[in-house]
Amino acid sequence: MGHQRLFTAALALVLTVGPAASAGATAPGRGEAGDAGPGFGARALQALLDGVQFGVIIAITAVGLSLIFGTIHLINFAHGELVTIGAVSAFFLNASASGPGWHLIPAALAAVLLGGLVGAAVDLGVWRPLRRRGTGLINLFIVTIGLSLLLRHVVLVLYGTRPGSYVQYDIQQTIELGPVGITPRDLTVTVLSVLTLLGVALLLQRTRTGTAIRAVAGNRDLAAASGIDVQRVVLVVWILAGALAALGGVFFGLVEIVTWDMGYKLLLLMFAGVILGGLGSAYGAMAGSLVIGVVAQMSTLWFPVDLQYAWALLALVLVLLVRPQGILGRRERVG
Amino acid sequence: MAKNVNEPVLLADDLVAGYLPGVDVLRGCSVEVGRGELVGVIGPNGAGKSTLAKAVFGLLKVRTGTVRLDGRDVTNRPAHELVRRGVGYVPQLQNVFPALTVEENLRMGAYLKPRSFARRTAELEEFFPVLRARRSQKAGSMSGGERQLLAMARALMTEPQLLLLDEPSAGLSPLFQDQVFERVKEINAAGVAVLMVEQNARRCLQICIRGYVLDLGRNAHTGTGAQLLHDEKVIECYLGTLARAR
Ligand SMILES: Nc1ncnc2c1ncn2[C@@H]1O[C@H](COP(=O)(O)OP(=O)(O)OP(=O)(O)O)[C@@H](O)[C@H]1O
Ligand SMILES: [Mg+2]
Repeated sequence: MGHQRLFTAALALVLTVGPAASAGATAPGRGEAGDAGPGFGARALQALLDGVQFGVIIAITAVGLSLIFGTIHLINFAHGELVTIGAVSAFFLNASASGPGWHLIPAALAAVLLGGLVGAAVDLGVWRPLRRRGTGLINLFIVTIGLSLLLRHVVLVLYGTRPGSYVQYDIQQTIELGPVGITPRDLTVTVLSVLTLLGVALLLQRTRTGTAIRAVAGNRDLAAASGIDVQRVVLVVWILAGALAALGGVFFGLVEIVTWDMGYKLLLLMFAGVILGGLGSAYGAMAGSLVIGVVAQMSTLWFPVDLQYAWALLALVLVLLVRPQGILGRRERVG
Repeated sequence: MAKNVNEPVLLADDLVAGYLPGVDVLRGCSVEVGRGELVGVIGPNGAGKSTLAKAVFGLLKVRTGTVRLDGRDVTNRPAHELVRRGVGYVPQLQNVFPALTVEENLRMGAYLKPRSFARRTAELEEFFPVLRARRSQKAGSMSGGERQLLAMARALMTEPQLLLLDEPSAGLSPLFQDQVFERVKEINAAGVAVLMVEQNARRCLQICIRGYVLDLGRNAHTGTGAQLLHDEKVIECYLGTLARAR
């Protein structure tokens, strides 16, 4: 499977030049449970809960990456920036001194809308013209790297390097649920993330547009031959991917912190989730991201937090050794 | 849509097309399909038969030449627009969505006419009974013959006036081939014009009103099915000398 090789090579690139090198991104949660605190069982349960919470947020962002890859075989290196744009624009509307000071909920909705618009703009402004010219996949991939750099620095100029938090739901009392604890904020984010993923699944499975997305991913020419306007479906995918990435960005900024390169740091885990789950499978991206999130958090039970991404990637390698096509990936049917 | 009855449904004139820059696969190829006609295209492997179907259908850029539907120029229009204008296409390979169920495949066939999905499904399940029992089965798990029938049903969902079939009998057992040809005849009898590309030259010419022999991207011979079946040159090159015995 040529595309798979390309995607894995891209992951290697992210690993060498990418956020992992600059490290330091810590996942949400309270992994570093102290000395003589709760017993191991309780700590493991807590790490699992934190991992699920982290995983579903990665999943929201990774689904779009997977759908884009599935429909146009583009490896979108700039996907992290879509995440950052969501988080930062919600920050501007909600907490910035020069912003309107909206409540977080309308600010988040506006950020999601903006994410969708940015998705549409990059497809119409960049990818559609390049597709029309028949630009090769490798060239397109290089363009996404350039776009990532460009967008990241635009954000840097506009937002600056100072980490920020949203005004509402900043500090909360943990609810104790037996051995584990979670803040109402984190619980809400997790539940909303799961509902979002369910919504995406329903869209793909039950609606005409969703089935058309799967049809285009399966066979472009045959989709066109069925009367589907492929370019329009691809535009819908970009809008969906942009909106989901922005939502994931707001959630991540909410449970963690808003920074100018937060999406870029998350990119590695999104890639890992997509590959682990099986390239081009949206449900695979969800499952893969969940595994990545859980492994990253569980690893902190035994190992330093700084290494949690490394353990997530090790899990990726191990799974691919056993199932080269990923968790939900299909082997190419021969004959 | 007012149709000019005198115009052929499809008129492809002097098509030049190819995949790689500077390499023409079709080099001046013309076909005509009249209203309700069943027209065959035969020729050796690599002659450009599939390329002709793709170029006509807007899946491959036509370099020079024109494609007309009902007298209207549709050269290089995107495929989904040709579907809207009443053309159905069944490719030679990968002609179903393997990850989608049979029902979803049909739903995609009816993408432009979602309202008529239920009625057409019922009609086509009548016509292709194998599909009825398989509604929720993934198309990828069907046999080659079943897939061919599903592919045809998918292309017929929009009730096209012209159906392009690329080697519908390829890879099927003789029994299934017979069934496919029988179906094609019935589809045509129902008033659908058919342009059929076939490897199985003799069977194709037996049921076709007219036929084209394509070689190296050009029309090599043209005639009625019966004429081509008895043409010395065509027998020599494409049918095999056994055909003379008849
Ligand atoms: N996607 C492609 N890219 C480049 N060249 C192609 C492509 N598809 C076909 N060709 C070339 O175009 C020529 C004609 O191919 P085409 O598929 O039209 O032949 P055909 O007549 O349908 O043959 P067959 O009977 O084997 O199906 C061949 O030389 C083939 O190598
Ligand atoms: Mg062919």
